[in-house]
Amino acid sequence: MAVIEARGLSKSYGGKPAVTQLSFDVRPGTVTGFLGPNGSGKSTTMRLMLGLDRGEGTCTFDGRPFTTIQQPMRHVGALLEAKPFHPTRTARNHLRMLAAANDIPDGRVDEVLGMVGLSDVAGKKPGTFSLGMGQRLGLAAALLGNPHTLILDEPANGLDPQGIRWMRDLLKALASEGRSVFVSSHLLSEMALMADELVVIGRGRMIANGPVAEFTKRSGLNHVLVRTPQAHDLAALVGQRLAGRGSVTAGGEGELSIVGLTAAEVGDLAFENRIRVHELVTREASLEDAFLEITGGAQEFQAHAPGPVGWQQPGPQQGGPGWGGPPAGPPGSQQGPPVGPPPGAAYGPPPGGPWGPPPGGPGPYGPPAQQGPPPGWQPPPEPPYGAPGPGSDPAADQQRDQQRDLHRDQHGDENGGRG
Amino acid sequence: MTAALKYEWRRITTLRSTWWISGGAVMAAVSLTFLVAMALRLGSGDLADETTSRSDSLIVLEMMTTQFSNFDPMFYLVAYIVAIVGIFSWGHEYRHGMIRATLTALPQRGAVWTSKYVVAAAWVTVVVIATCVVSLLVATLWFAGLGLHYDLPALLAAIGRRVVYTVLLTWVVMSLTILFRNQTFALVAMYLWPMAIETLIKGIFIVPGLSDHRELTRFLPFNAGGRIMQREPSADSVFGDPLNAVGGFLVFGTFAAALMLLAYYLFEKRDA
Repeated sequence: MAVIEARGLSKSYGGKPAVTQLSFDVRPGTVTGFLGPNGSGKSTTMRLMLGLDRGEGTCTFDGRPFTTIQQPMRHVGALLEAKPFHPTRTARNHLRMLAAANDIPDGRVDEVLGMVGLSDVAGKKPGTFSLGMGQRLGLAAALLGNPHTLILDEPANGLDPQGIRWMRDLLKALASEGRSVFVSSHLLSEMALMADELVVIGRGRMIANGPVAEFTKRSGLNHVLVRTPQAHDLAALVGQRLAGRGSVTAGGEGELSIVGLTAAEVGDLAFENRIRVHELVTREASLEDAFLEITGGAQEFQAHAPGPVGWQQPGPQQGGPGWGGPPAGPPGSQQGPPVGPPPGAAYGPPPGGPWGPPPGGPGPYGPPAQQGPPPGWQPPPEPPYGAPGPGSDPAADQQRDQQRDLHRDQHGDENGGRG
Repeated sequence: MTAALKYEWRRITTLRSTWWISGGAVMAAVSLTFLVAMALRLGSGDLADETTSRSDSLIVLEMMTTQFSNFDPMFYLVAYIVAIVGIFSWGHEYRHGMIRATLTALPQRGAVWTSKYVVAAAWVTVVVIATCVVSLLVATLWFAGLGLHYDLPALLAAIGRRVVYTVLLTWVVMSLTILFRNQTFALVAMYLWPMAIETLIKGIFIVPGLSDHRELTRFLPFNAGGRIMQREPSADSVFGDPLNAVGGFLVFGTFAAALMLLAYYLFEKRDA
């Protein structure tokens, strides 16, 4: 079973870097998710790994570059295109053609067509296939040589819910057999269910690399929510306990959001100081939260749609406390509301908290200002998370520190690699 | 390399376009021969009593076998049809995004490049030979009893020259497809270059002041390529004016080789 070792992968287009010094490993027996915003360089990285794009750096599969492997489909299966076939060559002939190049018996073709559920259309021209069927055919090609390594670029694109579940189960089963599975996807909920490890990039640079659990655990969005009639007192006590190693933010109606202490610690602290607590709950960041948090400043393309004609920005009487934060999902998920929140709705913590309204006022459309790079934000050079730029806010600094720690814990070097 | 050849063979034979282009080339050429031979036979009844000279027989039979391509400025019809198979061998890779699937199945680009040129050459060779043989048979049937002299070695040499020309033409247009990664461009260039651009250049050299250098136009690649096949009694030296078959082969072959080298360099260097 193969270890994929990517070292210093770099690629520029017309002087503009698309991928910069990416180094990571993919271990056998794991599904490694490859995440990044649109245009972050995921597909380019995969093509670099397979020698399809010309760039810098190396990528080896059990110590050998892909381009030197004989009968490569027996070692590495790849799915890079949504419809990687000639529209009038039948599905079976497409696979037979690929099989011929790798001395794979034709019998295996019908086997993989059955595996991906395309037996009934094996003799049909794939030009008429839906996107999902095309993906299945691409996956059949990737599995044709029964490879020990799979590199799949957005394989769930176009699949229906059953297909997505099937894909997830298949990839997990393949990994459980000891194969290395490296898969990119925008479906973060799927990735949360499927991936063991993550490689997260933004603007072509490494942002995070490590186990999924660590990735979400270290998120700055994990917090303890307390509701107490003595919020002021408890906030003061928590602030003393944290001593700058966390944050406490006041919410509406006696709510406190605490980062840096566990629920047990907060509960004990309240008990010791005779503070009544009505609610005490740990809010853990989902993979989506953590991903959006960590890549918020690394988006290549951001929507800035104007408001519709005649639209009025909601006044204070329309927005409830804390308006300006995301309309759904946990605080700080950084998904800009498509329209303003309904009157009176309490979205997220109030202004002034770490997830308060973005500077410059709440924008009804497009991402809030905090979704863009914070002031002074620079794509992290080396180490991967980079030093905070001048003017960066303390919360962001802390978040970056946590990410850097996570990365160092996992890899022990500055370049994102394991050796 | 064997794997690459297997792949390319499977690729070319599992495409319908390969078959209808090749079949179309054979049908068009043989039909033309059939009609002309029929017209000649039906319109020249008294020829049956005459004995045609050896050289005249060869001219007539070569004309029938190769669809008049032994006369300047006729183009060899079959070559300009079947070379499309070569254009598609690269064009489909880029048009349908197949190149990445190809290079993940066969990551050695040199082997991929070589196999495509070899298989395309083999394919067009078979098509040209098949067309010529069937055309000759059709002509023989119509000309039965006309007293023609069948110089088979000379006819085989004529067929061989068509094979050489067609293979070089196919390689030229395959290279153009790689260079521009656009099969439509290559297709248009294949017809426009020899039939319009070179004709235009030759026309320009008629203008006083340039006419003294008109003999330079014999080195125009497609014009030179045509000399591989055309009968020109005055072509008595390799690089004379006009070029003889060897000279035509050297000029057109060098042109094809240069384009192929450039195409190989870019194929190796570029992103897939």
